[in-house]
Amino acid sequence: MDDRIIEFVRGMRAAGVRVSMAESADAMRAVEVLGVHDKDLFRQSLRTTLVKESDDFAVFEELFPLYFSAGGPPMQNALEDLSEDEQEMLQAALQALSGRLQALMDWLTSGDGPTREELEQLAERAGVQWAHNQQEGAWVTRRMLQQMGMTHLEDQLRELMERLAEMGMSREAIEKLMGIVEANREALAEQVAESVGRQIAEQRAHRPDDLFGSDLMHKPFEALSQEEANLLRKEVQRLVTQLRSRAALRRKRGKEGRFDSKGTIRANQRYGGVPMELKFKRKKLKPSLVLICDISRSMLSVAEFMLRLTYELQDQVAKTRSFGFYSDMEEISLVLSGNRAVEAVDGVMESFYGRAPQHYATDLGHSLATLYDNWLDSINNRTTVVILGDGRNNFNDPRLDLIKDMQKRARRLIWFNPEAPRQWGEGDSDMPLYAPLCDQVYMVRNLAQLSSAVDKLIAGA
Amino acid sequence: MMFKDRADVGQRLGNQQYIASNEIATVIYLAQSLCKPILAEGPAGVGKTELAKAWAAALGAPLVRLQCYEGLDESKALYEWEYAKQMLYTQLLRDTLRNVLGDVASLAEAASRLAQEEDVFFSENFLLPRPLLKALTSDEPVVLLIDEIDRADVEFEAFLLEVLSDFQVSVPELGTIRAKHQPMVLLTSNNTRELSEALKRRCLYLYVGYPTLEAELDIVHLKVPDLRPELARQAVATVQQLRNMDLRKVPSISETLDWARALVALNARAIDEETMSSTLTVLLKYEADVQKAKRMMGNGGRRGPGNR
Repeated sequence: MDDRIIEFVRGMRAAGVRVSMAESADAMRAVEVLGVHDKDLFRQSLRTTLVKESDDFAVFEELFPLYFSAGGPPMQNALEDLSEDEQEMLQAALQALSGRLQALMDWLTSGDGPTREELEQLAERAGVQWAHNQQEGAWVTRRMLQQMGMTHLEDQLRELMERLAEMGMSREAIEKLMGIVEANREALAEQVAESVGRQIAEQRAHRPDDLFGSDLMHKPFEALSQEEANLLRKEVQRLVTQLRSRAALRRKRGKEGRFDSKGTIRANQRYGGVPMELKFKRKKLKPSLVLICDISRSMLSVAEFMLRLTYELQDQVAKTRSFGFYSDMEEISLVLSGNRAVEAVDGVMESFYGRAPQHYATDLGHSLATLYDNWLDSINNRTTVVILGDGRNNFNDPRLDLIKDMQKRARRLIWFNPEAPRQWGEGDSDMPLYAPLCDQVYMVRNLAQLSSAVDKLIAGA
Repeated sequence: MMFKDRADVGQRLGNQQYIASNEIATVIYLAQSLCKPILAEGPAGVGKTELAKAWAAALGAPLVRLQCYEGLDESKALYEWEYAKQMLYTQLLRDTLRNVLGDVASLAEAASRLAQEEDVFFSENFLLPRPLLKALTSDEPVVLLIDEIDRADVEFEAFLLEVLSDFQVSVPELGTIRAKHQPMVLLTSNNTRELSEALKRRCLYLYVGYPTLEAELDIVHLKVPDLRPELARQAVATVQQLRNMDLRKVPSISETLDWARALVALNARAIDEETMSSTLTVLLKYEADVQKAKRMMGNGGRRGPGNR
């Protein structure tokens, strides 16, 4: 059983859940305490020790049955209930049918399904080794069932019924037989699906670890596959948490501060002026951020990442206000703060794209004007303003005056641009105009660049 | 005293008027057998804090509570030196001090002699224990509730890690204080920020979500027995319906209970539009939400035949 749990942990890790050595050791101890006889208890003890995030429950629930079940529902034996005569009739009728579906018919009537090895061979023939996730697994399952001959089964069964009727089997017996065969057919389909699911999970577990082995850190955001994007999204979250604790440490060390004579005298009045408590002047370094996120079409491939980053930053830096723009500026702090990451990002995307989608409607200049009219109070001399966007303004007025003014008002104005500098100025990009007005411009095309940019951002915020 | 098995956990929590799901019972039992803290996450008001209280009561152990907030630091959570008391003692012991220092010739000698007596002023007499130290030094096992850990700063979280992994703390003047009995620890979080992985790694994880209709009905029956059963069912169904709506703040279990009590107090016969509009503010805390819910109920009244 221990081996099985280790396999399961590998499967979970491959699916993107972080499970440490200590946690799998805990799982073993928990199983030792509670045993494996009660399946529900067993499942709960694994879940509480291995999964520490409710977002990951789905992965757990998906993989658990694949690793710890008998391999699908059992099938029944159709022959048992038949009299000897009827059994002979059935055998004769089966033989009379064309031999193509013999194996399938045998499984369905006798109740002895294919063995695990047989299923694995069938799966291999159906191309399970090329499937990377459970969605593709559904396709493999369909192919397998096709190859087994499920598509022709209907005809075969009808023929079988006719033959049995000719041979003089009673109506009830035939109907009963068909009922069992039908139930077996469903059970077999489930067994096949489970087997495929398990094989895919195991394959994934044994594939080399993509994230750290490969250059995922350096792959441009728009070139990511769905699965890679999921992995990276988790990385973004970890990244911001790490940076946050690093920033907190920095601030803590900075706390020692200068000796505060006035404060010390005041605090020690109650001890008759004997300096029992020393006071130090602490520099208040509470970061405050204003994030302005471009959610236009040209940013579509990276917008989700930018929003994700916005979400995590807002989560970590207490004083953060976030805005999103497309044709006009809107505050998105509330949407982002109230929800879990996925819902929050989807919520924003939907609120921007749910309305009639307009092409070529990006207007940063106008959006900035809206920001100025409504939310200027959010920018003061302690605020770091970060614009996440490509500066493609669709030939509208770039409103450089507002950017210039914003840079003056804010502590710093920083721009994260997902485009390479050589693309700036091409087409409708106003980046060359904006860039000199910012305190800093970072190119963030991949996670490595993003992480270093955010690090610098938090360090100075 | 300790729980025998999972069923025992469920039953004894039940005796404390806490309805524990199988999952909660399993996790509590595991926490006890593996000596690990529990991290309970979930929306506000689903009974996470209540769980700690019931746990302590079921074991007959005292509950020590540490409420976290932004700016909480070690001195408020662990211990403080009682300066005033130290001052007072030096004043009162002035004569004794004079005796000790009476015959010294130089300032240096006086200082060194005083240094020998220094331990008197930094002993446990002058140590003001805060919740964490109280939990560690208690003579009987306690349940330690660290409430809303997500509101504390990251630095405090790091400090807590040290306490939770070894159940010992070091006070520079006194040395290391080890726990006499390992306390049972429950941390709660409302998920307002991500907790560090290191902390999560050390805990068993428990997600407490909103209960199903039946489970919530059981809770209402238990806590507000005066509410008539059919009315209770109607009320809980309404709350569950509200939770599916897109609201700024969905009603929690505690709000369901408040509402149930309000219905009893108002002697309501049925949940009609009038009772709804007069009591809805018990459930919903934003004006926009109230308006939205009223519109929904109004529509439901016109369309649904079952709603009078």
